[in-house]
Amino acid sequence: MFKKFSSEEVSAQNQVKASVQRKIRQSIAEEYPGLEPVLDDILPKKSPLIVAKCQNHLNLVLVNNVPLFFSIRDGPYMPTLRLLHQYPNIMKKLQVDRGAIKFVLAGANIMCPGLTSPGGALDEEVEAETPVAIMAEGKQHALAIGFTKMSAKDIKAINKGIGVDNLHYLNDGLWKMERLD
Amino acid sequence: MAEKPQPVRVLYCGTCSLPPEYCEFGPDFEKCKPWLIQNVPDLYPDLVKEANEKEAGKAANQLKNTSISSGSDDGAASSAPKQEAVKRLPGGKVKKKEKQEVVIEKVIRNKRKCITTVKGLELFGVKLSDASKKLGKKFATGASVVKGPTEKEQIDVQGDISYDIVEFITETWPDVPETSIFFIEDGRKVPAA
Ligand SMILES: [Zn+2]
Repeated sequence: MFKKFSSEEVSAQNQVKASVQRKIRQSIAEEYPGLEPVLDDILPKKSPLIVAKCQNHLNLVLVNNVPLFFSIRDGPYMPTLRLLHQYPNIMKKLQVDRGAIKFVLAGANIMCPGLTSPGGALDEEVEAETPVAIMAEGKQHALAIGFTKMSAKDIKAINKGIGVDNLHYLNDGLWKMERLD
Repeated sequence: MAEKPQPVRVLYCGTCSLPPEYCEFGPDFEKCKPWLIQNVPDLYPDLVKEANEKEAGKAANQLKNTSISSGSDDGAASSAPKQEAVKRLPGGKVKKKEKQEVVIEKVIRNKRKCITTVKGLELFGVKLSDASKKLGKKFATGASVVKGPTEKEQIDVQGDISYDIVEFITETWPDVPETSIFFIEDGRKVPAA
């Protein structure tokens, strides 16, 4: 998604109306209940919320020029990795084995065997079509944000093909865009 | 009100911008190495070893150059210092695994920002999560328990608080004697007392 992403792909940046701002806050709070106590810090009510529309039906939510969330079409809002690193426990986590790290960091989608091997780990409660943090064997911080194509149970049972779409990963275009000025 | 989670301050590599643990998979690990050795020596112990070996190798070469009988090959000359280098951390600090002590280090990140790391409180029966909270509150800053993959948990406190921290530690946790607290300054371990 963000492999070659840059500010050139931002087609419009708009400060959203209060009602839209409320809706965005609400859906973020619902998706990530763990963020609720700090939502006022992350998305201060007084700071204008900017939504940047980009190519490929991508939206970025920014505060003070910092991208904090992204969404695709009408999909759920997902935190940027920089935000996730600050609040690592807001998302469900799946862990890939060490061997998968370089593929994930090259933008590849996450294959089931990388999650089911001894170095991988699955949160059994994860359903299909859920935003997840992709962790890695032996590493402390998330290396990607993914969107599950199948449930964790199916990933385990089927154990082949793509289990999770890799949406945003370390050092991709969104990672490099610390600010959008 | 629900308890507010403190944001974790993640230290990113000054060279490639990734969390340092991912530098080995980053665009140019070689370029990251000096920064890593300087800032997160515990994360890649092999790098430090490698650097020390290089140093030791240089020293050995110098020795060899000055000695009259330089008949031996390179391998023999550097094998002895190599053994010793394994046990040494940067600055010649010798690693003592079991010793009960608290080590405080200021780590500069970016240009002006820095964090203060506190290691070893758990050896005195202090709960790190609790300590992290107290430190954050006392110094009105972000503090978090951070766990490196190759090392024990430590507390990272945002900002340079190394000045006041000793007094705070000894007052808050009387079990920690001032004589067990050390600073890392310029790669050297200095007693706080
Ligand atoms: Zn690096």
